[in-house]
Amino acid sequence: MENLIESLKFPKDICMGAMKVTLTGNREAWIENYRGILEYTESLILLQGKTCQVCFEGTGLSVDYYTNEDMKISGCISCVRYG
Amino acid sequence: MIKFLKYIRGYLRIRLWGFSPERFMNLCSNRGILLWDIVREGESYYMCISLDGFRELKPILKKTGTRVAILERYGLPFLIPRLLKRKIFILGLLLTFVFWIVSTFYIWNIELTGNQRITDDVFYSFLKENQVTVGMRRDALDIGGLEKQIRRQFPEITWASARLDGTKLQIDIKENDAPIVIERTETTCGTDLVADYDGTVTAIIVRSGVPQVSVGDTVEKGTVLVEGRIPIFNEDKTVREYEYVDADADILLEHSTSFSESIPLDYIEKTYTGREKESYYLKLGSQTCRLPEERPFLVYDSLMKETRPLALEKLDIPVFWGSVTHREYQNTEHFYTKEEAETLLNQKLMDFLTDLEEKGVQIIEKNVRINRNDTSWVIEGAFLVREPVTGRTETARMEDGLEADFEP
Repeated sequence: MENLIESLKFPKDICMGAMKVTLTGNREAWIENYRGILEYTESLILLQGKTCQVCFEGTGLSVDYYTNEDMKISGCISCVRYG
Repeated sequence: MIKFLKYIRGYLRIRLWGFSPERFMNLCSNRGILLWDIVREGESYYMCISLDGFRELKPILKKTGTRVAILERYGLPFLIPRLLKRKIFILGLLLTFVFWIVSTFYIWNIELTGNQRITDDVFYSFLKENQVTVGMRRDALDIGGLEKQIRRQFPEITWASARLDGTKLQIDIKENDAPIVIERTETTCGTDLVADYDGTVTAIIVRSGVPQVSVGDTVEKGTVLVEGRIPIFNEDKTVREYEYVDADADILLEHSTSFSESIPLDYIEKTYTGREKESYYLKLGSQTCRLPEERPFLVYDSLMKETRPLALEKLDIPVFWGSVTHREYQNTEHFYTKEEAETLLNQKLMDFLTDLEEKGVQIIEKNVRINRNDTSWVIEGAFLVREPVTGRTETARMEDGLEADFEP
């Protein structure tokens, strides 16, 4: 399946339902392709994706905007962990 | 841009607390309700939500067991009802619109272009006579009639166009570039050419009339040079009748003339002390409003600068503001040096000579001296000039047939 998508040059985030995380330094992160927020505190934001979960750890974390399509997290991110 | 759109649609800052705020956010995003600036403080979440989104919150709140409180309201949907409560403000706004619309019915400025010989003052007083003034109604203006009236009143205007440009009456005129020939009215009783000065005739070319002098004659002031009475003879050389014409001739009369001018030895010059005071004023039409002020300095002059903002200029609203700068000065006495005095006096002499040349006077000899006496610098000049004769008097009438002893 993965080889097929690779050879057809399809975007993987759409075909495989993978989450797309864009980090700018350690201050901002843009996330697309997620299902929802599982947990939101100032030091931890846990997101549910289609295939996995992503956990942002840091200090002073906040969500700048949150829609069905994408969201933006700002604050001091110290760790991005997949589980 | 996005901020502006949010402002137009209206949004709220809310506080959210309860069982499952995360689920609340997920449900919101699933239903397309935009949330932004989400901050967590303790057990509460603070976030912004659009006004439309807020109205759909009820089932979500129920489902997630959360509660919401409005902290602040932003945007036009909240501003407008608040503004509508302010009656005076609304009245003022309406009055502004009414004033604006009413003011477009009137002419607020008259601009004239293309005039060179006709001064603005002359033209504006003509317009005033024809009841075309600043502040008149636009529909009271008959543009075609005004153009006709302009051409009738000023024969030197060859083309006139008036048009209304917003609240401005724009008048373009074109003057006749060719010199205006002033037609001399033909008098029926005839005129003589007479000498304006004592002098000697150096050239005479007669076109009409009877010459009374010849080249080389010395004449006195008032002597008739060319007579406008032409005798018509019978066959027996007696005068049958006289024909009266306007004598016309080119006669050059050589005479001496003098020129004298003086300037005082000293002059007063302003020396600015550098101390300045500025005051401001506002001008509405021809009314000037300014703050009352004391006399700023003992001796001073004032410099006035007047402007009006571009917006008012474009709308032709006669509102100006300006500043007056009072500058203190002291009068200091100076003495002309010889060179300065000579330059000034020579300039006066040159002006005099230019005047003479314009009149068609030829200068044959000149003798100029600059002297200094006790009180002033004096320039004195003696000139021998040849000047065309222009003096005229009415021809003495002669009873027909009486002047029988005239010898041709």
